[in-house]
Amino acid sequence: MFGIDRRLFQNFDWMLLLLVASIVAVGLVNLASATHVEDELNEEMRRQLFSLSLGGVALLAALLIDYRHFERFALPAYAVCLILLATTLLFAPVTRGSQSWLFGGRLQPSELAKLGLILALARYFHRNPLGEIQRLRDLGRPGLIALLPVGLIVAQRDMGVALLTLLIGSTYLAFTRISWRSWIGVAVVGVAALITLWMFVLAPYQQRRILDVVDPGRDPLSSGYQAIQSRIAIGSGGLMGTGYRAGTQTQLRFLPTQHTDFAFSVLAEEWGFVGSCGVLTLYLILILWGLRISRNSKDSFGALLAVGLVSTILWPVILNIGMVLGLAPVIGVPLPLFSYGGSALVTSLFGLGLLMNLSMRRYTF
Amino acid sequence: MSDEEIGGGRRLVGGVDPALTRRLPIVAAVMMLPFAIFFLRLFQLQVIEGEDLGNRARRNSVRKVRLEAARGDILDRHRRELATTRPAFGVQVMPAELRRRELTLTALGSLLDEDANALLERVGTPKGRQRFVPVRLARDLPYDAHTRVESHLYALPGVLTDVSPRRFYVGGEMAAHLLGYTGEIQREQLEKRSFADYRSGEVIGQSGVERRFESTLRGRAGGRNVVVDVAGRVDEVLDEVLPAPGGAVVLTIDRDLQHAAEAAFRPEVIGGPAKRGAVVALDPRNGEVLVLASRPAYDPNAFAGGIDADTWKQLTEDAALPLQNRALAGQYPPGSVYKAFVAAAALEEKIVDPKERVYCPGSFKLGRRTYRCWKRGGHGAVNLHEALVGSCDVYFYQLGLKLGIDRMAFFGKGFNLGRRSGVDVGGEAAGLVPTRAWKERRFGEVWLKGETVSASIGQGFNLTTPIQLAVGYAAIANGGKLFEPRILLGTLDADGKLSRGPGPRRLGTVPVAAEHLATVTRALEGVVHEIGGTGARARIPGVRVAGKTGTAQVVQIKHTEGMEDDEIPLEHRDHGWFAAFAPVEAPEIVVVALAEHGGHGGSAAGPIVNAVLTRYFEVKAGKAAPEEPVPAAEGARVVRN
Repeated sequence: MFGIDRRLFQNFDWMLLLLVASIVAVGLVNLASATHVEDELNEEMRRQLFSLSLGGVALLAALLIDYRHFERFALPAYAVCLILLATTLLFAPVTRGSQSWLFGGRLQPSELAKLGLILALARYFHRNPLGEIQRLRDLGRPGLIALLPVGLIVAQRDMGVALLTLLIGSTYLAFTRISWRSWIGVAVVGVAALITLWMFVLAPYQQRRILDVVDPGRDPLSSGYQAIQSRIAIGSGGLMGTGYRAGTQTQLRFLPTQHTDFAFSVLAEEWGFVGSCGVLTLYLILILWGLRISRNSKDSFGALLAVGLVSTILWPVILNIGMVLGLAPVIGVPLPLFSYGGSALVTSLFGLGLLMNLSMRRYTF
Repeated sequence: MSDEEIGGGRRLVGGVDPALTRRLPIVAAVMMLPFAIFFLRLFQLQVIEGEDLGNRARRNSVRKVRLEAARGDILDRHRRELATTRPAFGVQVMPAELRRRELTLTALGSLLDEDANALLERVGTPKGRQRFVPVRLARDLPYDAHTRVESHLYALPGVLTDVSPRRFYVGGEMAAHLLGYTGEIQREQLEKRSFADYRSGEVIGQSGVERRFESTLRGRAGGRNVVVDVAGRVDEVLDEVLPAPGGAVVLTIDRDLQHAAEAAFRPEVIGGPAKRGAVVALDPRNGEVLVLASRPAYDPNAFAGGIDADTWKQLTEDAALPLQNRALAGQYPPGSVYKAFVAAAALEEKIVDPKERVYCPGSFKLGRRTYRCWKRGGHGAVNLHEALVGSCDVYFYQLGLKLGIDRMAFFGKGFNLGRRSGVDVGGEAAGLVPTRAWKERRFGEVWLKGETVSASIGQGFNLTTPIQLAVGYAAIANGGKLFEPRILLGTLDADGKLSRGPGPRRLGTVPVAAEHLATVTRALEGVVHEIGGTGARARIPGVRVAGKTGTAQVVQIKHTEGMEDDEIPLEHRDHGWFAAFAPVEAPEIVVVALAEHGGHGGSAAGPIVNAVLTRYFEVKAGKAAPEEPVPAAEGARVVRN
């Protein structure tokens, strides 16, 4: 099954690789500026370059095995992710209010869990076609598949990643045949139940506690501060930007977490409207390209997997850019392929490797 | 392996779900929608508002200032301050904003009375991101030094002043062990889930009341986003969340009595060099703790701004153990104070006729060993009452042998000895009431009769803490009710309204009938008021006091035989105990005092009890106004990091 067919090489998706490489490259240049220290290669750059080489290996590994074998590995992979999540919950120390790192901060199982979840869901919907799902109760089992990892991530108090995982899982809902009326019914009942619970059941201190959980920025001003600074940084970029390493907001470190969650504001300040639109366009093409791969797939497992993989890029992009532009609340979701962060980069590259795998094997049968 | 085998599922090669293919274009269109919004938003921010926001960035920027919350006060039962919060004035330097570094720091040095070179060295020449991390030069400046800096701030770019709340223990050493101290949160604490909403550097209660009631005392920090100009001066406040101060904790402690108890630990009061010991006073009607003192003590104010290594080392290595709370964690043989419980046990078990007399020649022989009575010449013929009044050891040796060790232990435990009392501040030691089974387990040896003899006068293996004895004596005083001692009276809300803590909690009833306790109480009154009683030092005019002295041996008599009191090395001197309650007809206060290595109970601990009772009844009779003892505060000073 490892036989390297010449056709595979001919069919390799160079376009996808180019898109990914461009985003990663811009991200690195941006990181270099955001963490710039005079006269030395700083720690963050060194670690990110190391993660990138690891990610490259992961990407190649994802290409090797014919994706159709993944279906058999889907459930074990999903189970391993759940076990890792549970282990984290039991043994990992609490850092910055949440508890999501294993092995001294080198592995974030919630990142892996996103891939485990889409593998498991793709397998499920491969066997139970989405087109045949017409009633709400048909969603019971896939719902459970999605909620298990989400629940474990919520228990780690990592609300950003939990929300992300939930959104990724629910991408598949767009393809079901459940009628609009059912959805409206669900929404009405759900909202009514939540309001009743909030107003009549929960005591004020419980309400506050829930709000505290929903807003993990324990410092009451930190989110407002970040939003203001981010706005100033983006705005001061203007049309053409201040130029590389010339952004005052960035270079004077007014932006907190400017190399992780707010990396895009650094780009917007230094490269202006032109640069930020350029990067956004790269993401948009990447997403549409991924959907094209899904459409060209010859089997439904591949098509489903491609949709899932696209959603692992789509949702964090929407949440992160929305937050940076002051359109969404400040929740700590990094920009995939772009922000500083090893675990996320390696898993993203692995996921995109799978997408290339799907793409180059589209003619193999 | 063929393709057919690979898929494994129902749908195999070629069968893409038609629902998927049909919906994909719609889904793609929906996915493009947020991107369209992003492009528009970028256009708005960068092209339309760009110039405006760019100016704001150039005009220097928004800075976040954290506003620390004041910790809640700790008050005594009459709402008098035990611990409060005062402002501490500090100075920081932002290296990136310093201009003419040497000149600025030299000027600052002269304002702070500090050596300019030392300041230059502490600020250093940080590079990169470090230039934006403020360096703290002073945490707790005297008010006038702070004013001097403040009024020259315009000429000192890069120098920042701040005011932060700082813990202040009103009485210095007063009730130090009970109140505990605060300090920066430890690394290990930060990693625990229960401290998830703390940030590093935050101040947290590390012992005593400060730790136990941390969640009430801790406030909620606020902050503000401010626009600062080039010189670091605040131009405009954008958002502000005011800090919410912590809630006040009201203790059952009476500050006045606490002060009296601690002041009594002076050579001129206790007539000896002993400065170590403990005092516990309780209300026997409900278990509320009025006094909880331990000596020697330390000044928790030294911890408030981070203690320096030398002071800490000195405190932890001091042989007198100033950090130990002797009232709760100090375990000592009870000595003759224990006799009241032995007497109650014998009465309940009906193995003694209170009228029957036993002859005390000054010693007692068991087998080949001779056990001495403390009174060399002997007490002569004494009954139970007289034996307690004169603290006759020989009488109790025989009583103990009749009871046997296990029965004695049953009653000892019945008065809550050898067990943590459950006082709500925590940090207690359990003490020990020995039994046959315990010795078997602990040493694998059988119990010896001679050990029963020692146990009957509270020697041997017996270990008690001052608070245990206070609980036991409170039960004698109140007719047999055992109360869990309480420190917390309640908490105050923002309007100063008291919400009471949990009320008195009964641990149970002692296994002795009230009439027998009354018999014991009559004898204890005799200890203080009759001729020949050992506790005359606790007498106070106009009040009937009941009490018992105790002198706990630390080493065997042969080591100190024939020595004058002041020749005996301190560590070999006896511990003096005194346990008392008053007024006898309706007891309101129990006081237990321990003078560690203080010598005889009557002379060493009696005056301490006397001081507390005197103060209590003077204030009660209105003869003395409750004073406001505010011992001199430690002067504020420049603190180095």
